[in-house]
Amino acid sequence: MPEQFKNILIRHIAVALDCSPHSMASLSAAAELARLMDADLTGIFVEDINLLRMAELPFTHEIRLYTPEPEKIDLSRLERSLKLQAREAEEALERIAGQFMIRHSFRVCRGMVPAEVTSASLEADLLVLGRSGRSPSCRKGLGSTARWALSESAKHILFMQSGFRPEQESVLVLYDGSEASKTALGIAENLVRKGNTLHILLLPQAEGDEKLLETEVSGLVPSELLRVEFHFLPPDVTDSKILARYIRMAGSGLLVLSDHMNIPAETVHTLVCEIDYPVLLVRR
Amino acid sequence: MLLPAKLPPEKLYRICNPEEFGFTTTAEFDGTVKTTGQQRALDAITFSMGIRHDGFNLFALGPNGTGKQTAVTSFLNGIAPGSSVPSDWCYVNNFEKPRHPKALKLPAGKALQFSRDVEHLVEALFTVIPAAFSSEEYQAQEKNIREKFQEQQGEAIGDLEQKAAEKNIALIRTPAGFAFAPVKKGEVLKSEEFMLLSKEEQDSIEREIENLKTALQSIMGQIPKWQRETQDRIKELNRNIASYALKPLIAEIISNYQSLEEVVEYLKTLENDLIENFDQFIEKEPDAREYFLGLPQGRLSLKSPSFNRYRVNVVVDNSKTVGAPVIYEDKPACQNLIGDIEHTSQMGTLVTDFTLIKSGSLHRANGGYLLIDARRLLFEPFAYEALKKALRMRQIRIESLGQLYSLISTVSLEPEPIPLDIKVILLGERSLYYLLNFHDPDFAELFKVAADFENEIQADKEGRFAYAGIIASMVRKDGLRHFSKSAVARVVEHGSRLAQDATKLTAHLQSIYDLVHEAEYYAASAKRDIVEAEDIQRAIDAKMFRSSRIREKIREETLKNVILIDTDSEITGQINGLAVYSMGEQSFGQPEKITARVRLGKGEVIDIEREVEMGGPIHSKGVMILSGFLGARFAVDQPLSLSASLVFEQSYSGVEGDSASSAELYVLLSALSGAPIKQCFAVTGSVNQHGQVQAIGGVNEKIEGFFDLCKSRGLNGKHGVLIPASNIDHLMLRHDVVDAVKNDQFSIYPIKHVDEGIEILTGIPAGEPDEKGQYPENTINGMAVARLSEMAEKLRKFNADSEDEEE
Repeated sequence: MPEQFKNILIRHIAVALDCSPHSMASLSAAAELARLMDADLTGIFVEDINLLRMAELPFTHEIRLYTPEPEKIDLSRLERSLKLQAREAEEALERIAGQFMIRHSFRVCRGMVPAEVTSASLEADLLVLGRSGRSPSCRKGLGSTARWALSESAKHILFMQSGFRPEQESVLVLYDGSEASKTALGIAENLVRKGNTLHILLLPQAEGDEKLLETEVSGLVPSELLRVEFHFLPPDVTDSKILARYIRMAGSGLLVLSDHMNIPAETVHTLVCEIDYPVLLVRR
Repeated sequence: MLLPAKLPPEKLYRICNPEEFGFTTTAEFDGTVKTTGQQRALDAITFSMGIRHDGFNLFALGPNGTGKQTAVTSFLNGIAPGSSVPSDWCYVNNFEKPRHPKALKLPAGKALQFSRDVEHLVEALFTVIPAAFSSEEYQAQEKNIREKFQEQQGEAIGDLEQKAAEKNIALIRTPAGFAFAPVKKGEVLKSEEFMLLSKEEQDSIEREIENLKTALQSIMGQIPKWQRETQDRIKELNRNIASYALKPLIAEIISNYQSLEEVVEYLKTLENDLIENFDQFIEKEPDAREYFLGLPQGRLSLKSPSFNRYRVNVVVDNSKTVGAPVIYEDKPACQNLIGDIEHTSQMGTLVTDFTLIKSGSLHRANGGYLLIDARRLLFEPFAYEALKKALRMRQIRIESLGQLYSLISTVSLEPEPIPLDIKVILLGERSLYYLLNFHDPDFAELFKVAADFENEIQADKEGRFAYAGIIASMVRKDGLRHFSKSAVARVVEHGSRLAQDATKLTAHLQSIYDLVHEAEYYAASAKRDIVEAEDIQRAIDAKMFRSSRIREKIREETLKNVILIDTDSEITGQINGLAVYSMGEQSFGQPEKITARVRLGKGEVIDIEREVEMGGPIHSKGVMILSGFLGARFAVDQPLSLSASLVFEQSYSGVEGDSASSAELYVLLSALSGAPIKQCFAVTGSVNQHGQVQAIGGVNEKIEGFFDLCKSRGLNGKHGVLIPASNIDHLMLRHDVVDAVKNDQFSIYPIKHVDEGIEILTGIPAGEPDEKGQYPENTINGMAVARLSEMAEKLRKFNADSEDEEE
């Protein structure tokens, strides 16, 4: 295990699977991290209780994209579909775990999806889940489960999205000198693959702190082994939109930050919701 | 009657005097050959090559080895470099109809450059297209379009979701679609909870959900349309980006070929196709199915078969041609003439495309001249018909034979025909020319000009010098030792012998070529730097010896009296005729014993050869002619009361030709008159109904055949041959025969009339009729008349006795 990770114990990673493209991306990323950190991987599939309840209602109909008339939802058929999805998720987990040669387990639970995912991940050190799941409106920002996990879970969370491949992307980390940001830096450093760049966005607390922060980071990052690029923010930025603009300018792939840094946690949460990047949120 | 004198030695062999040559050896020649003695053929060639109208193609006819090809090639090499170089041709893909590849015409030497230009263009696209499509600008625009769709969809559904939420109804994603359900604090109402609601509340919820369902269905109906619009926008974007990336590259090529309308048009269609199929230049994830199907994997490159459609197949490249092309097609098979469409095997199936179109010699010779051996052309299936079709249509249409005759059943091409402007020269024997002319109506239309090559050339000074020039060119071309003037003179003499005419030289240059090479070999063996006359003689003798086995066998049998040929005594009704045997290239003469017997009969001459069907028609004709002569001479006043039989003794194969008819007449006269014939003579010559002796072929071989037999038995000065006087010019006899004549050991008599010949053969004059038409008693004719009268009397008496007995 890399030296930096000795203090950041991630022995167990949980990944939420619902067969959506985002969750499949989450699975790949989780497997990659599990291999890197020699951690166990648990796949969690939740049978949505809302769906089952809905099927029991006498008047509910399913509306499909390419079927002209709505069809009555049949409970047994729905249960069969859910089982099928669960099996599909398990097979995907097994396949990818085989590829990465990692220990893995799979758990199916039934209940409200956000709550079940969060509670199932209690034993894990890191929860990996898609930024949005099977939400009907395909909206931007975080899905309901991700939003729940952001607010309710105390674990490190990786919000993944499809089209992102950790081994091919650069990593951007927010650093403001806080302990949490040092932890984030340590993790980010280990996520950068050879040939990619570690972008460090420095958030000085006061005018003139930039150099101080840069010197501090230079001591922490073995720059001879990594390609590092520094980016500077004006002092004391607390607006998530400004932060998002700077992050986009850096044009990196994965964003690593903590909601226990000097900037307010709400700003970080808003940023996580709005930014169109995969985010690794580091908790204490 | 004045008998003809023996021929003097100088009449038997025409010497070529080396001193008349103004050179010492052939080293003094520059090696160029001028066609001599073929003015008729040369005029025909000049005319045919000069006239530009259709159908005036040339058939050069004459025996093989007479230098037809050399003469035609030499003429063409003189005129072709001054003509303009024809255009290049290439085949390109027809993007609209791939089964009909397009033919493009480019100025000479431009096709290869064009092919390279297009190749570079396509190669450049492997960099330019991926760069354009991975640019931030493109990514942003594409993302924008997709997001717009997502937003459009998201907004429509989101609004509905919002509306539903206001009424405590949630839009929920099911495994296959969407559904609405009443919620309470974010959770869907359980069915028991729902049942506990009042009827009004339940109805209200159901109504709301029904309305929402209708609204959602309406949105769903819009989604495929939005998807299509999004796809169209992305396609349009792709087209714009590809077009923008491609335009400068295409414009650069077009500027190089601005004046070539068809090429520019092709480049525009190429541009459209590249824009439509830009994605093939972008690296994709390897497809496992393609791997298992054995399809080529790996990085994209121009060599991949999928990029064949952008290649330029140069079928005619005249970049190195000087003037008009002169092509000799050695193997005029159909596909070698008009080209071919090859196929490759792909997963067990035969496939083809325009890059597999192969040009034929008609393509390469287009705008110039094509020489073909007529015999080889006719031997190749469908080739003659294909050539005629091309000439008739004035275009080269490549058709796969397999396809045409349904031998293979697979997708093939129909390439655009290429206009044809060509002169075709067929080289062949006369018989072929006449056969084609007789049997093929198209032939006369397409090959209007015949260049008839002579078999011989005049053995005058010009002809002899031409021979010297030909030998010099052979020597120079093949790196042989040079020939002395005496060697050249000996070759000239042999040329006359081969021509069977002392006043001519053979035009069969292949024989001269062989002699020159063999003589050079003997000169080399004798370690001489220059080939001399003795080397030529040795080569002639050696060749004769090599082929003399059968001749020697026959002579051996004759000397052992197995074959009975008398060369000493005098016998009635027996004569030595002369026959020629042809064995491959060699022929030799051999005496044949001809005998005749007479008996009482009805005046018929029985040709035993004919009776047993061993005599050919010309031989039979000869016998009938001599019967006519006998009838006219002896049966004017009384019928011929005899039957005569004639036979070639010990002849076991057929007899053809009329060269023995004079001998047959002599032997009949001998049998009729009872006058013995001197067997020391042999006779050749045909005869007409007036008794005139006419020329025959192979006179030299015949004389030499008899001479060799007599020489083997010992010459005694009496031996000799009677030949037609009209054959004197054909005499080119061996030196030993000439020497024997010189020493009075052998004689050759030129005979004009049978009356001369019979007197020489019997020593008795033929006899001329007096005023009453009576022949003197002691003449051949007188003796014959007396014998005939005697026989007529016997016949009359015999007939009278028979009648008495019957009564």
